[in-house]
Amino acid sequence: MSEQLADLTVGLIGAGNISHLHVSAWKALGARVLVHSEAGAPELAEQYGLELAPSLDGLFKEVEFVDIVTPSPTHKEIALAAIKAGRNVICEKPLTLTAADSHEVIAAASAAGVKVYPAHVVRFFPAYSAAYDALRAGRVGEVAVARFFRQASSPAGAGWYRDVARSGGVIMDLMVHDLDQARWLCGEVLSVYAVQNPPTVDGMSPVNVAAHVTMTHDTGAISHCRATWGATGTKFQSGFTVAGSTGVLKYSTEAGTGYSEELQDSGVGGDLLIPASTLGESPYLTQLRELAVALRGGAEPRVLASDGAIAVYLAEAARESMATGRTIDMTTFDPTGAVA
Amino acid sequence: MTLKVAIASFAHTHAASYVSLLGAMPDVDVLSADPDGASAPDAKPRGAEFAEQHGVAYVDSYDDLFAWGPDAVVVTSENARHRELVERAAAAGAHVLCEKPLATEVADGEAMLAACTDAGVILMVAYPVRFAPSYLRLRASVEAGLLGDVFAVLGTNNGKIPYDQRQWFTDAKLAGGGALVDHTVHCADLIDGLTGGASAKRVYAAANHVLHQDKGVSVETGGLVTITYDNGLLATIDCSWSVPDNGPTWGGVSLQVTGTKGSVEIEPFLPHVGGTDASGEVYLPIGSNFDASMLRTFLHAVRESGPAVAGKTPAVVPQPDGAVGLRTLRIVDAARRSAVSGQPVEL
Repeated sequence: MSEQLADLTVGLIGAGNISHLHVSAWKALGARVLVHSEAGAPELAEQYGLELAPSLDGLFKEVEFVDIVTPSPTHKEIALAAIKAGRNVICEKPLTLTAADSHEVIAAASAAGVKVYPAHVVRFFPAYSAAYDALRAGRVGEVAVARFFRQASSPAGAGWYRDVARSGGVIMDLMVHDLDQARWLCGEVLSVYAVQNPPTVDGMSPVNVAAHVTMTHDTGAISHCRATWGATGTKFQSGFTVAGSTGVLKYSTEAGTGYSEELQDSGVGGDLLIPASTLGESPYLTQLRELAVALRGGAEPRVLASDGAIAVYLAEAARESMATGRTIDMTTFDPTGAVA
Repeated sequence: MTLKVAIASFAHTHAASYVSLLGAMPDVDVLSADPDGASAPDAKPRGAEFAEQHGVAYVDSYDDLFAWGPDAVVVTSENARHRELVERAAAAGAHVLCEKPLATEVADGEAMLAACTDAGVILMVAYPVRFAPSYLRLRASVEAGLLGDVFAVLGTNNGKIPYDQRQWFTDAKLAGGGALVDHTVHCADLIDGLTGGASAKRVYAAANHVLHQDKGVSVETGGLVTITYDNGLLATIDCSWSVPDNGPTWGGVSLQVTGTKGSVEIEPFLPHVGGTDASGEVYLPIGSNFDASMLRTFLHAVRESGPAVAGKTPAVVPQPDGAVGLRTLRIVDAARRSAVSGQPVEL
């Protein structure tokens, strides 16, 4: 592994689903990982050979930087604690649940002289970064109309996801990836219009729900994001179509991974060493390597704290649009409700 | 430790990829030579001009290249010129990565293996699809028994005719033939890797010249090769140059593997971002670079093995090795003979 990342000690905070992808990446980078979590840390440590940190403060003392993979509503508080301890921060998306909170985190980090990087992993997926490079190279001219979609089996059947105050709902939790993509590929956002069906009632999201968001950009481009928490068992899919003045770029995870199988015994034991990815390196590994290299003084990564804050800001605007039935003007929108 | 890696010839189109990948490696020094480039009938640059374009150090002769004392040599000459360069590298004690096919004649391949064995140098054959993640998953699934006993394989390696960039690919003498020689070996190698080196027992090939008649090429442009292996496995490989000149990408590889408990199909070059631009269809490949994985495997073996000791087997023998190269060359040679006789060839 690159010498730039020799002797890395990472403090992982959280032990839920996404932690497995992060841990695998840190192990691939040869990092020593300490883990702290309200639940699940011993099991995770056992599975991957990590060290347990009984307290957050104890973890901060031992590590070079932290990687926050806890439920969304805890991001702000943990990030602020890490910043206070003088530790750089990598934080799962959404950076926080409100843009105001994101700005508070960014200001604290800036005052403490530490860095915060939000983990918007889709920027590291090969298809999306290939599209970004092709657009920057002028392959299809000026972007005119872009569409993004993302669907998954709803996580809202149980736990904290249904509570919009905690998960942010389908837009903040799932579409936030594509809100960031739309901005990355099409430019800064001027306006946001959003609808959702069925609607959120009393702060509780429906289990199965679709949200559609349309945005206008300062480049003249218009974009659409569609996110769906589907029926249980819905296959994860995402994709995009970007139409430019001289061409179109298209991608869907359904367009072919280059691998298909039909096996009679599907219930095979889980300890077979069969690689899952047929595209090569995990985008989580690509992402965490780039962020860690940046924290060690290397090149600036392709995603910054401000990008994370703006993605959250766009999700808030979408919620405001759903609440008011109006298009939100991003040149004046203040999600705190203060008069601009 | 910085490794000295020589690139011998720019005849093969893959040289460009190897040059740029090796050039980006921090602990590798690269020197190249392409003395036959000047007399090649190619429109695209060769020799010093190619080296300058790709930012790689260059010397005018193979004498100068070998005088540099390389730790390893990448042979990317015309197929028929592999033997002389591999033998020369072996004599110089340099480890070898040889472009596929190993040679145009079985006797040449046997001589190359013997020379490398005697000199104690690594002989690896450049079959990059072996390093595709989809293939690695397929092979792991086969090895774990998920497919049961594998009894049949259908492979395709269809592409554009490699005519514009390098004309020797369609020169029967320098290439050893046409599509049968260029494209049968990749799939044959993938099958070799799945079977742990099964030998072909019988080969039948049908070939024709329907495609690319407008270019006046004399070698076969279409071909179907059916192989029966010593373990009973049957496989057919479509090796045709059947992707139209205006296709969105160079071509691809597929391998459909059927076993008693299931089947798997891989298409390692399929994942891409598609679309349209001013000049037609867009095809942006995504995923890992197989050439890079192959070069890393080769250079790792070179480092681990250290300088060659005559008569001693290298500490690390990277796969696919010269023996795989020779087994797959035997299939091509049999296919060539079968295509002429119209009858299967027993090996």
